[in-house]
Amino acid sequence: MEVAVKRPQRWDQPFSPEMREVDVDHLLRMDPFSQIDAKLFPAGQSLRDLLRNDTRIIEYRPGDLVVREGDYGSSAFLILSGQVRVVLAGLSSESLGREPRQQSSWWNALWQLARNPRLPEVRRDKSPAVVSLDVGQQSEEEDCLTAVRNTLEGPRVFVQDVPLLIEGTENDTLGPGQLFGEYAALTRSQRPATVLAESDAVLVEIRWQGLRDLMRRTPALREHIEELYRQNSLRVHLRETPLLASLTSKQLDAVAEATLFESHGEFDWQDEYEQAIKGRRGDAVGREPLIVEEGQPSDGVLLVRSGFVRVSQRFGGGHRTIAYLGKGRAFGVAESVESYRSQQVVNQELSLRALGYVDLLRIPQEALETLVFPHLSQQEIDRWEADRLYKFGHCKCDSKLPESPCESKTNDTLKQGTLEFLVERRLINGQKAMAIDLDRCTRCDDCVRACAATHDNNPRFVRQGPRSGPIQITQACMHCVDPVCMIGCPTGAIGRDAATGVVRINDQTCIGCATCANSCPYDNIRMVEIRDRRGSVMIDQSTRQPIEKATKCDMCLDLPTGPACLAACPHDALVRIDLGNLGELSGWLDR
Amino acid sequence: MHHFARRRWINATISVALVALVALWVRFVESSLGRSAYHTGWLLLAMLVALASYSLRKRLPVLPLGRSAIWLQAHLYIAFASVGIFLLHIQFRWPNGILESILACVFAATIISGLVGLYWTRTIPKKLAKVGEEVLYEEIPRLRVILRDRAQNMVLATVRTSGEATLGEYYEQRLRSYFARPRGWRYRLRPSSDVRKALMADLTEATRYFSDTERKSAEQLFSLVRRRDDLDYHDALQWRLKTWLFVHVALTYPLLLLALAHGWLAHLFAGGLS
Repeated sequence: MEVAVKRPQRWDQPFSPEMREVDVDHLLRMDPFSQIDAKLFPAGQSLRDLLRNDTRIIEYRPGDLVVREGDYGSSAFLILSGQVRVVLAGLSSESLGREPRQQSSWWNALWQLARNPRLPEVRRDKSPAVVSLDVGQQSEEEDCLTAVRNTLEGPRVFVQDVPLLIEGTENDTLGPGQLFGEYAALTRSQRPATVLAESDAVLVEIRWQGLRDLMRRTPALREHIEELYRQNSLRVHLRETPLLASLTSKQLDAVAEATLFESHGEFDWQDEYEQAIKGRRGDAVGREPLIVEEGQPSDGVLLVRSGFVRVSQRFGGGHRTIAYLGKGRAFGVAESVESYRSQQVVNQELSLRALGYVDLLRIPQEALETLVFPHLSQQEIDRWEADRLYKFGHCKCDSKLPESPCESKTNDTLKQGTLEFLVERRLINGQKAMAIDLDRCTRCDDCVRACAATHDNNPRFVRQGPRSGPIQITQACMHCVDPVCMIGCPTGAIGRDAATGVVRINDQTCIGCATCANSCPYDNIRMVEIRDRRGSVMIDQSTRQPIEKATKCDMCLDLPTGPACLAACPHDALVRIDLGNLGELSGWLDR
Repeated sequence: MHHFARRRWINATISVALVALVALWVRFVESSLGRSAYHTGWLLLAMLVALASYSLRKRLPVLPLGRSAIWLQAHLYIAFASVGIFLLHIQFRWPNGILESILACVFAATIISGLVGLYWTRTIPKKLAKVGEEVLYEEIPRLRVILRDRAQNMVLATVRTSGEATLGEYYEQRLRSYFARPRGWRYRLRPSSDVRKALMADLTEATRYFSDTERKSAEQLFSLVRRRDDLDYHDALQWRLKTWLFVHVALTYPLLLLALAHGWLAHLFAGGLS
């Protein structure tokens, strides 16, 4: 049985249904849109269409929260009028009004079970799994600094005591024509700062898909946003680097001036990844772009801004992986400190290679010696120097320094082969990977059945995948540190949950283009043919081809049980785990 | 002490303590000229219901009823304790009534199937994990066909290109049936590598008559024979894991029905037959 329907299109569901033609006209008269050449946009996706469908205009009153630090965001804001204040308060999302996720009640869960159709992928007119983008939720925490007021557009969270929030914090004011929020949108990560309205303000919010297309077709805008991103990310990154924690704002600015940006590897690393997993074991290391070579003189400290790097050492005819470093980690601190103290050139004992595309910040040795080390206490200097890691593959320190890669090095429980496996297959990207201990798994498929029972009668994972010894990393969405699946989505249907960072697909706005499924290097997103409530397969009325939707694991975010697969495993054989934290993995294996 | 070991100790201690407490209670009731069989009977029935409810938990994955792993632990230790309570209930004597004897047999069969299953679920996964390739049970028939076709096509291609029939004849005589048919019940019940070893030895011996082209194909046949054997091994052990569970769950229903009937009759004739 088939039923013909209209194939969903990109802008069937605009960012805001309240955007009117008059609003678009208003935007087109304002900078930077007035300076954009509309001819650069194709007829089917004109600048006007883009502004109408991928932007929304929001009015704020003083104190209103625009974005909340720690929330995942996928949009940027342009100030049309008024002022906003950017606050780096370092407060938890909860104290800034983030409400804990509402989970389905027992009754709803039972009702869902009873209503489960026998056929797979039947779509009812159910409310979509919304990928939350706004801050319209309110916590009931006692020390919460925010409250909610009702507006015509719905509830709006505002800060009750602005002076209390900004007291003793680093903050800045932005005015008309300035853009913010691009950092989280470009990096698919958390908002690094809270932004609240300083006065009555009108902002235009541009969702990632619109921002991407604007940047693609307007080189000047792209350069401006990228420069903004570099500046903002540099400031955010340096501020969060423990080595620089004791520096004042002024000293930090001087370090920022001296810091160099470096990029290594290919942005589109999927092909290289596929070659690596098909090739001979150990060969992939040689093909990875070399950043620092073992035996070469140390030249400052490298900070990983995005992506992953492999730390390795020559061993026999190959290279032995010692550790891997992700966003926020540093390389070469101990060598730099040693060089500073001895006033001699110190050689690197380890090599550093890019795993895919990597953005790095290099603080040159000269800058460290003049701007950083003189401001550190003797105790701190000793501590950093003692943190010389990975000599001959063993961590010499028991340091708990946040920059110490000790937690990402191998240990007795986790064999060297497992570390090599995780790095070679880039599984370290997974924050909630499904690992199965095959020594305990009885292949009962209770996990698969539970997943199917909670997801349209069709499991959202395949109980197969790459393995190292008894550990199998199953083909389930890993909710990556850098979810590349999100980059190309034309509608914004795939996005991170604002509070948890879980990558979800909004079934209502997914148009079945398969861009995300093709982008996922791990093949963890599946396209499925959908049926209507009577069980008929939906087909496109013009092409007669089946209508497809992208499906993947959503960590059962709405269920009161948490991930159904995890709850259903009778033998403690399955875990959802952050593969970027080897300590967690070895702890699980060493139960 | 590791988490699992600690858990084992705690759960075992609680189970033994429960049985000991009930034993003391039985002794107290009996010494007071009471009839402990009603108390232990009801307790045993409650335990059976609790044990059977695990199956229900598995069917309701959407409800926050606790993790299945915790349920399984409870299931195991309640089952262990139920053996002690059962022995106290029958006062360490085999029952003499027909219904009671059948009930005792079904109880024993359920417990034994559970123990066998426990042993298998703790040992078979390790054996399966040692096999290089992980396969889904439902996929095995399809993978068998793929292997058979690959072997057959390779042999046919070799015969065509080399013009020699030695490998083809050997395949027809020794390997065709191995690739074409699933292994018998004997292998399923007691999987061993005997057939693979014999075939490999045979094939090694036969290579002396092969041409260079045929020898190259024979190398691939070695690999296919090994892969087919791994597949059969997975099939046999995964089948065992699925079948015991089926048997164990199937025994639960008559056990519950017989226990209820026994309880009803026990209360019906509580005053004795007149």
